[in-house]
Amino acid sequence: MSFVVYSVRYRILFSLLGIVLPLFGYAQEIGNKQIDEVKVTGFATEHFMAGLKVQKIDSATLVRFQFQTLADFLQFQSPIAFKSYGSGQLTSISFRGTSAMHTAVLWNGLNINSPMAGLTDFSTVPVLGFDEMSIQYGSAASCVGTDAVGGSILLSSVPKWKQKGSNFTIGGQYGSFDNYNGQAGLRFVKVSKSGFQFSGKTLFYGSQYNNHFNATERTDNAGRTYPIEPSETAQKGFIQDLYLKKKNGNTLSLNIWLTDNKLAIQPDVIAFREITQSKAYRVLSAYQFGNTNVKAGFVKDILDYGTGDFLNPSHSETDRYITRAEHEFSIKKKDSFQQTSLRIGGEFVHYVAKVDGYGGGSITESRQDIFALLRQQFTQKLTASLNLRQAFSTRYLAPFTPSFGLEYAVISDKNTQIKLTGNIAKSYRLPTLNERYWKVLGNLNIQPESGLNKEIGAGWKQVISANISTSLGINVYHNLIDNWTYWNPDKGYRVENLQQVLSQGFEISSNVKYLKDNNLAGISATYAYTDASQRKVYDAYAVDIIGKQLIYVPLHTLTGTAYVSKGDWSLNIQGLYNSERYITFDHSERPFPSYFIVNSTVSGKIHFGKIQSNLIFQVNNLTDTVYPSVRKNAMPGRSFSVGLVFSGNVFNK
Amino acid sequence: MQFNTIYTRSLAVSALILGLNACKSTSEPEPSQPYDTGVFVINRGNFFDNNGSISLINATTKALSFDIFQTENINSLAGGVSDYAEVDGKGIILVDNATAGKDAIEIVNARTYKSVAKIPSSDLENPRYVAKAGTNKAYVTCWDSFNADYSYKPGYVLVIDLTTNKVTKKIAVQKGANKLLVVGNEAIVATTTYSGATAISIIDTQTDAIKQTVEIGYEPQLIGADANGKIWFYADGKFVKFNLNSKAVESRIAFASPSSIKSAGSFTFNKEKTAILFAYSYSDAADNYKQKGETYSFGINDSSILTTKPVINKVFSGLSTDPNTGNIYAGFSPSLKQAGYVFRYQANGTLIDSLKAGIGPEGFLFK
Repeated sequence: MSFVVYSVRYRILFSLLGIVLPLFGYAQEIGNKQIDEVKVTGFATEHFMAGLKVQKIDSATLVRFQFQTLADFLQFQSPIAFKSYGSGQLTSISFRGTSAMHTAVLWNGLNINSPMAGLTDFSTVPVLGFDEMSIQYGSAASCVGTDAVGGSILLSSVPKWKQKGSNFTIGGQYGSFDNYNGQAGLRFVKVSKSGFQFSGKTLFYGSQYNNHFNATERTDNAGRTYPIEPSETAQKGFIQDLYLKKKNGNTLSLNIWLTDNKLAIQPDVIAFREITQSKAYRVLSAYQFGNTNVKAGFVKDILDYGTGDFLNPSHSETDRYITRAEHEFSIKKKDSFQQTSLRIGGEFVHYVAKVDGYGGGSITESRQDIFALLRQQFTQKLTASLNLRQAFSTRYLAPFTPSFGLEYAVISDKNTQIKLTGNIAKSYRLPTLNERYWKVLGNLNIQPESGLNKEIGAGWKQVISANISTSLGINVYHNLIDNWTYWNPDKGYRVENLQQVLSQGFEISSNVKYLKDNNLAGISATYAYTDASQRKVYDAYAVDIIGKQLIYVPLHTLTGTAYVSKGDWSLNIQGLYNSERYITFDHSERPFPSYFIVNSTVSGKIHFGKIQSNLIFQVNNLTDTVYPSVRKNAMPGRSFSVGLVFSGNVFNK
Repeated sequence: MQFNTIYTRSLAVSALILGLNACKSTSEPEPSQPYDTGVFVINRGNFFDNNGSISLINATTKALSFDIFQTENINSLAGGVSDYAEVDGKGIILVDNATAGKDAIEIVNARTYKSVAKIPSSDLENPRYVAKAGTNKAYVTCWDSFNADYSYKPGYVLVIDLTTNKVTKKIAVQKGANKLLVVGNEAIVATTTYSGATAISIIDTQTDAIKQTVEIGYEPQLIGADANGKIWFYADGKFVKFNLNSKAVESRIAFASPSSIKSAGSFTFNKEKTAILFAYSYSDAADNYKQKGETYSFGINDSSILTTKPVINKVFSGLSTDPNTGNIYAGFSPSLKQAGYVFRYQANGTLIDSLKAGIGPEGFLFK
């Protein structure tokens, strides 16, 4: 029975491929003699996300906030809502009104969301763990696969081929509440006489957040008091990246990222102590030859939870074996803007889970994906992409996921650029292992969620004078997600595909930049309006929650950054505003009040001969704002920290 | 103009002083306060959200007041609410925070609900139930923290002096100390399910010391005292009638046809205290683990319990009888992430209405 269904699915996919491939053939035909095959250099999927908003974070910003976790960093970079259980504690994302499971987090192309819970705890991911980052808004499941329903966070490791010789870094940070950070690493590039280039990065990092707040509660201006939850977080990690590049560009790479995060609630009283330790071992090797890329990866996620002496914690372990192969056909018509890129590929992931909560024994599951991504640049002004993806599992039917995007440059001269974008995409989220296998509460018949995201956008970049440039952008979206899973209290909290969520809203971002000689100043701000609510009546009491803003999703979010820099020194002020957040489905309890927090950073470079030092002085929560965590405990008040990172060339002749 | 204002102000001040004096010198009854009467609903909250509350139902006008502690004190209660009782004009709210070591007891003026004092976390862990144990004296049962394997440690009873609002003594009792009942100079402390305990403790409220422990049966849960002064427990799947004078079990009443899957809970007496009402429920594995069951009742003189005809064809997480009207108040939670409901029934099981409550309404106090 299921075989029949799958074969039907395959047929649909291939018949759609049948539409795409002739198009490709047509492009080839019209070009005929004037076309060149283009060599693909990077394998970033962003290339195929025409019509979607992709925000790239520059490396200078990543360096400035290198001692932060992704949770602390990201909320000031974009109007994404985070749900935090406290400082150094579980912090999950809500992108465009969706749940924590609806944001794909990719590390070098691999989805690193926990297969058990289907989400990433952003408090366990340090900014140091990667070299580049992009925030992709809206559904991109056809490009990146499961979970990319509300958006995706793309983290990648990048070799620095242009670096001369070897470069070391060693640094530390000390801050309020007895919180420490440290790192030591080496980056090297070697070129052999035969033309081989060898590059790599080794990095150890660690932090200890003691959170000695010296208070038991905090009270806001209105007189609302929130308790302070005693907690301690210790984090350590190791990164090893290696790249070997041949003269013809073929590259072999190996990326290793090991993380260990230990959180203790009530660390000083053994009878009250609660410990959560999560470890991840991530290994990925890839070989890119010509326009073909093959990858093999292994990810192990370990989670231990226990109380008191932590001698006999509840243990969970999941292994993922991943293989992926992709090939890209890319041709460009001579003396024309016409260019066609078609990438086809497949991925196979095998899961082995040993989780106490699943009732002993190990559970295995395999998932496959096949995809075809097509990008066509028609003219200088018009680009389109058509992407198709089908996921398969032995257990359920994943929705076929196509997407179509357009970008049209209305004006693109030297000083003025106006671009219109549009994208329509299906998306999906495969069930997590917890949803399928958790003892009694899990549901083997759970189905994947599926979404339909539609969005349009406009962007305007204007150079005002030789020193001043501005930009303004707006994106409007409508994302309907069906089969949304719900741990149903009416069925003793068993998980079911009960709900349907509609998330709609818009983001406006603007930017003014002044640059003269080595003086730089600017302001950038993003406002987001997010209206997300449950739409389906599935029982008598669902009426109470229909159409009401989802919990912990602020209707209004504003983030902004103002910066001034002169030479090696810069001042950076970041602000974040979240409007009130509801904590119950039916809005029956008093919502969490709105809040505004400001962080500021002064950073500079000091040179000691050949050694350069980066000084980072940071004040977080400058206004000492009192606001609650998810558990109604107080988030930390004003804190100061000083970081110093030395770097320099070594072994250089 | 300014002179005028100062003049008016001093007039107002003297009027106030005169007024206060007037109040002092007369013996008129105090003006009525917002929380003098009504049905107080104990909303346990969703444990990890620390959002328990007390709401108030005006039984005649059906007017509802939500989270009355927050309304009167700006602050909300920092945890779930496990129980609430009034002792000599003071309201005692047991607050159970999701983080171990952060529980507390809030003491309010029972008529205004303004905060009076707070008993700090250092004095208690996992407070369960509270009862009046003498003039200006309250007893609070506590589980203490759990062992690392989540088993129960021996519990204790806090003795609170409400003139100073301080804990004056901790009386060690059995594991899983839960509901308590004070009759005369004796406080009976029973246990919770999964505690493994089999005995109850009887405390002398004059000396605040354990007088006796009595074996009742497996995990004895307290129901209350009937019209004849007999104490009832539910233990080992049976209803147990206990004689407080002789400290002996008088009878154990079994189900006429015991169910292997259903269990009894949410016990309450009728107005006359001649019958016990209870929920009899199970989670149906054959139907997506839906919670199923009914509410039954039996007479205190019945020789066995019949489950042929339910009083209410629905199961609730909390039942209580209004001592004035005999109406049944039943708490129901569609989910712990949205407001619960209080269903009101006549004593015969006829539905009157349903009213909104806070998160997880499970307990009631009638005033």
